[in-house]
Amino acid sequence: MPATESLAELLARVALRDRRAFEGLYRATSAHLFSVSLRILRNEGRADEVLQESYVSIWHHAAGYHAAAGTPMTWMINIVRNKSIDLLRARRTEVASTTEIGDEALNVAADSAGEPQRLLDDSLIKAKIAECMGTLSSQQRQALALAYYRGMVHTDIANLLNAPLGTVKGWVRRGLDQLKSCLEAAGVSGV
Amino acid sequence: MNYLLPVRLDRLAREYALGTLAGPARRRFERVVRSSPAASMAVDVWRQRLSVLDLAAAPVQPPESTWHGIERRLFSGPNQSASTATPIGGALQALRGLFSGRGLAGALVGALLCAVLLRTQPDLIGMEPRFDALPASYVGVLLDPVGKAALVASSRRQGRQLTVKLLQPLNVPAGHVAQMWALPKDGAAPFPVGVIPAQGTSRLALPDTSEKLFFNVSRLAVSFEKAPSNAGDAPAGAYALIGNCVKVW
Repeated sequence: MPATESLAELLARVALRDRRAFEGLYRATSAHLFSVSLRILRNEGRADEVLQESYVSIWHHAAGYHAAAGTPMTWMINIVRNKSIDLLRARRTEVASTTEIGDEALNVAADSAGEPQRLLDDSLIKAKIAECMGTLSSQQRQALALAYYRGMVHTDIANLLNAPLGTVKGWVRRGLDQLKSCLEAAGVSGV
Repeated sequence: MNYLLPVRLDRLAREYALGTLAGPARRRFERVVRSSPAASMAVDVWRQRLSVLDLAAAPVQPPESTWHGIERRLFSGPNQSASTATPIGGALQALRGLFSGRGLAGALVGALLCAVLLRTQPDLIGMEPRFDALPASYVGVLLDPVGKAALVASSRRQGRQLTVKLLQPLNVPAGHVAQMWALPKDGAAPFPVGVIPAQGTSRLALPDTSEKLFFNVSRLAVSFEKAPSNAGDAPAGAYALIGNCVKVW
């Protein structure tokens, strides 16, 4: 990931309508943000559309970035995640109202659920909290990964994993609780 | 429902940040986040926690057409490369586009539509509408001796505070303070604005509104002084940072 300090500087210049800085910010971050959108939407055209909208939003809202919102990358990832999630759900409503078997979440093949979990595991290793998060069951971790990386809601996860809704809500809640306590135990500041 | 009860707020904030809060509940909570600093902060904390899950994500290069699409949307001309653009050039280009015949008609219709929509559906524009337009402000970027942007200073036109954000820590010599100066464009003597910290963001109280205080000031600078300067003092040495300021109104 690009250095936080240089991204903060680029964002500050973008807030002053510096187009050269904006292109620099795009070159430094677009591949990462594209992967975020692709993971949620799993369609290159739609992910591209969301990426463009996100950078338009970043250009307009750069002055609203403040360090308390996290690193510039966290701030930008959330713009992309929000727009991707909105599009995913808007499309699902649209498809559901026009076809009988509309729920796109059901199109997720069981094997593709493996990828979010691998990404979760690798990220936890990098964050040095893999051991601490290892106390979660594999289902709890899988539920957390599907929600974060795929933008799935509890009912999607319950359908995919063939589990009761209440159980899935418990898995996600437990995953988040554990993430919080693992980060606190690891002494990650500001968290 | 009181969204701001701590336990409820934390539950909503984490579900919102994760993405599992859906449908009308998601929209309602977005409105709460926009109006409540406590809710906004609770979401930020969860986003930062969840951001560790992005550490291992492998980047995927988008097609080059994506960048051209963004340029087209923002600057209405895919052939203008950013290498020749300046911030002011970009703004002029945007204004020219706005006031061309079709652009003007489109902008008027768009503005009316936006006004109506925003009155009825404030969440339609996605996020943080309060930041959509820069309020009338006084803004400066100060560079270090090698030309690197080191400090952003900003103040509202009628504000009596100057927000100073260091983009890189300032190496203040022991026994000295970092003193900010305002440099009038008519060549009159610089006057002291206040002492700034070596890093982070701070707010300097101004004796008057920035409109009155900085009306004739085209540059800001920082020097290292042995003590905070008073009105009538002059900088003791060379400027450690200096840069241009603009009035955005």
